[in-house]
Amino acid sequence: MPVAPAPDVVERPTTDETVDPDRPWVVLVWNDPINLMSYVTFVLQKLFGYSLEKATELMLDVHHKGRAAVSNGSREKAELDVFRLHEHGLWATMQQDD
Amino acid sequence: MARWQFRPPVERTKHGYRINIDDREREVVGHLLEEMRSLLLGPSDHPALKRVFPAAYHQSQHAEHDAEYQRFMREELVASRLTGIDTVLAALSANPPLAESQVLALAQALNGVRLVLGTVLDVSEDDDPDELDPDDPLAAEHQLYGFLSWLLEWTVRALTPST
Repeated sequence: MPVAPAPDVVERPTTDETVDPDRPWVVLVWNDPINLMSYVTFVLQKLFGYSLEKATELMLDVHHKGRAAVSNGSREKAELDVFRLHEHGLWATMQQDD
Repeated sequence: MARWQFRPPVERTKHGYRINIDDREREVVGHLLEEMRSLLLGPSDHPALKRVFPAAYHQSQHAEHDAEYQRFMREELVASRLTGIDTVLAALSANPPLAESQVLALAQALNGVRLVLGTVLDVSEDDDPDELDPDDPLAAEHQLYGFLSWLLEWTVRALTPST
């Protein structure tokens, strides 16, 4: 299988080097002083189908470490997850995996 | 002597969910939701709405993506919150047992008001909700915030499966 990129790819102007469409995106939930711990746990269970144990673990990560990765995937999927978290009032953002 | 029995403010029964708050409390919730509605219909860069509409892309190199997200999704977020408020107001004005979707809307709506009040009050994690300073010009808002936290806590408890 060829490893070197085809010439036309090389010559294409690189307008946005930071966004490689193939690198997955990570959805983060950030700690904030307003959202109740019980509510955050509940929302993570409801939106992502996590067990109570898993959702609690993620919520405690948010609380103690300041943030936790709650889902990942394509940019479209991550954006939809962020939207659903925003609908529920959680402080969620997304970034591309390192 | 009749035994005093505690009824949680939000409770799951065999026939659906019951909201056991008195008329005065219903009125307060209704009033807060109406205020939330006006806020949502006003300018979307109102500082009190900062936590209601956070950035989706927090890194500066993705600022363009975020601008796009705000352009397309902000309106949907507002619409979703307005629909939720209507659902809750209708559910609170009648008193039949509520469906899970209505209680869910209640949790989201209560949380939305808490985000606004918490932003206005600039709450921090060290705040002790039991320590209200009566001389604080925002003492009433602090009290409302505490009331909403209490009600939301019970709403989540009723929605959380007991297993």
